[in-house]
Amino acid sequence: MARMKFLCDAERCIECNGCVTACKNENEVPWGVNRRRVVTINDGVIGAEKSMSVACMHCSDAPCMAVCPVDCFYRTEDGVVLHDKDLCIGCGYCFYACPFGAPQFPQAGAFGMRGKMDKCTFCAGGPEADRSESEFKKYGRNRLAEGKLPACAEMCSTKALLGGDGDVIADIYRERVTRRGKGAEVWGWGTAYGPGKPGAQPPAAGGKS
Amino acid sequence: MRPRRMVVALLAAAAAVFGLAACGESEQVVVYTQGKYQGKPDTKPWDNAPLAYGGNDWTKGDKASWEKQINTRNLGQNEYRRIYNQ
Amino acid sequence: MLTRTHLAGWCFALMALVAPSAGFAQAAPGSAQQQAERAATQPGNNAPVWREVRSGQANYTTAQGREAGVLVQSSGDTWRQIRNGPITVYGGWLVVLVALAIAAFYLVRGPIKTHDRPTGNLIYRFSVVERWAHWTLAISFCLLAVTGLTILFGKHVLLPVIGYTLFAWLTLLGKNVHNFVGPIFMASIVVFFLIFVKDNWPSKGDLTWIASAGGLFTGKHVPSGRFNAGEKSWFWMGVVFLGIVSSVSGLVLLFPNFEQLRLTMQQAHVVHSVSGILFMTLSLGHIYVGTIGIEGSYQAMRTGYVDESWAKEHHELWYEDAKKQGANRPAAGGGAVPAGAAQARRDE
Ligand code: SF4
Ligand code: SF4
Repeated sequence: MARMKFLCDAERCIECNGCVTACKNENEVPWGVNRRRVVTINDGVIGAEKSMSVACMHCSDAPCMAVCPVDCFYRTEDGVVLHDKDLCIGCGYCFYACPFGAPQFPQAGAFGMRGKMDKCTFCAGGPEADRSESEFKKYGRNRLAEGKLPACAEMCSTKALLGGDGDVIADIYRERVTRRGKGAEVWGWGTAYGPGKPGAQPPAAGGKS
Repeated sequence: MRPRRMVVALLAAAAAVFGLAACGESEQVVVYTQGKYQGKPDTKPWDNAPLAYGGNDWTKGDKASWEKQINTRNLGQNEYRRIYNQ
Repeated sequence: MLTRTHLAGWCFALMALVAPSAGFAQAAPGSAQQQAERAATQPGNNAPVWREVRSGQANYTTAQGREAGVLVQSSGDTWRQIRNGPITVYGGWLVVLVALAIAAFYLVRGPIKTHDRPTGNLIYRFSVVERWAHWTLAISFCLLAVTGLTILFGKHVLLPVIGYTLFAWLTLLGKNVHNFVGPIFMASIVVFFLIFVKDNWPSKGDLTWIASAGGLFTGKHVPSGRFNAGEKSWFWMGVVFLGIVSSVSGLVLLFPNFEQLRLTMQQAHVVHSVSGILFMTLSLGHIYVGTIGIEGSYQAMRTGYVDESWAKEHHELWYEDAKKQGANRPAAGGGAVPAGAAQARRDE
């Protein structure tokens, strides 16, 4: 059975924000709401900069679902965590609980006026009729119901962001890792066997990976 | 009268305490009944007909064929196969 | 079911939620440097980067939004465990058990009646301003309590009964009531404090009163001033202390527009729900003695008047004072003896 997952390869992400743009365009999310974002660690430090694209990770034991006072979340059979905006009261609890900062709100007003929560749906829409106008307005495109995968992962230029059945993307990633290098270049080699030749260089630009 | 009331009160207390034990965390299981996931309505993706364009292919209502379609599509994210092996 | 390990886990979780507030957003020094070195000696080993990610510090991002640069925050799940664990479970038990204990007490002991026959002589106990202050506080408190309980326990108690749509609608209404009544409650605490503080200063007889629990169990008569030690404890521990704690933590939660960190909100929520539950628990006692527990006390706050024999039995020292000052006539601006007061007298 398919269990939908995202995976971001920090070795590949080039912080082009293409996934962010794809998401915004595909789902026509309002201003101020970012279902996906790219975070760069050690920005500008040569040899240390890594970027990661992050959105809702569709947790198997989802903190958002656990704290929601109106229990508006549900997990679908293919492992996608969705929510019902008609039930949401905009309390913000899911945002406090989520490890990845995925839940977003159209406002952050005084007296706790936030509006309905919005988050990545793994391009799976929501409770409204699939591929209907009202579903699109509230939750964005339902690509799973179109036989497609999330727009962000499908258009990622470097294929850093993978999205789909957890088993399949794990296989893709495994294959990638085994091809990434051999000998001292292979992932984890240095950790397992210590440094190679003194003063060894990181893989040259334009190399594999 | 008095002792009976006490018994009722004690039973109510016991019921309340047992009831509360169920509070806190609920199991996050997937239950799909009558078109609803744990009370929230949703349709399964494979219960839609494939789009007329885009080369999608599955039988409406057949989960296995939809999964096959998704898996084929998923392999498009593996450029080693998509570019070199085809 | 709830083992010691659970408890230890929760304590640990609580500590984890409190601890990071001290050193939040402190960049691990030289972690970029470490990563650069690591990449040279052990290519592909990104451990320093992942350590940095797990530290919860903010990194660079083009996305706008609160803490958008934080890739992973660990305190959220900790907060979830505290909220869904001890706060929901023990908090729920506390409220229910205290309510049941009071009910049991009522069944066993019954209402505390005035021993002497009412004299028919009414004494003015609460002015109009005092009653307004009390009822504004009381009604807003009850609204906050009911809506607060719905947000914490409704999912487990009400939702299975009334279903998703109705429950979500009610909770949305409740959330807005909670948010807009909150400030009224805070303001009325201030007013209430200013009005009643002078009669709530601890005085000589208080210790004796506490030692005999106000004669609640023995039925023995303990003299007290305008307010007895029980009322004073409720005033200081409930209205003043818990009132301030709930108000301050509530304000943090009420105005998310000041870009508070999620950790701040989680901590404020824990403080707010714990103080709210304690507040409600204490209030149950006050509401009990103020209504069915002690005959004549509800009428006092309702109409402002008490019967002479009630005053003598419950607040003897105050009664003596009041008699000296001739308070059995309505104070200036107090108006005539309301119809309700006469009614109350007949009921007795
Ligand atoms: S919103 Fe956050 S907590 Fe909920 S499933 Fe997505 S990543 Fe997990
Ligand atoms: S904001 Fe909405 S989805 Fe999030 S916890 Fe509150 S009610 Fe649930």
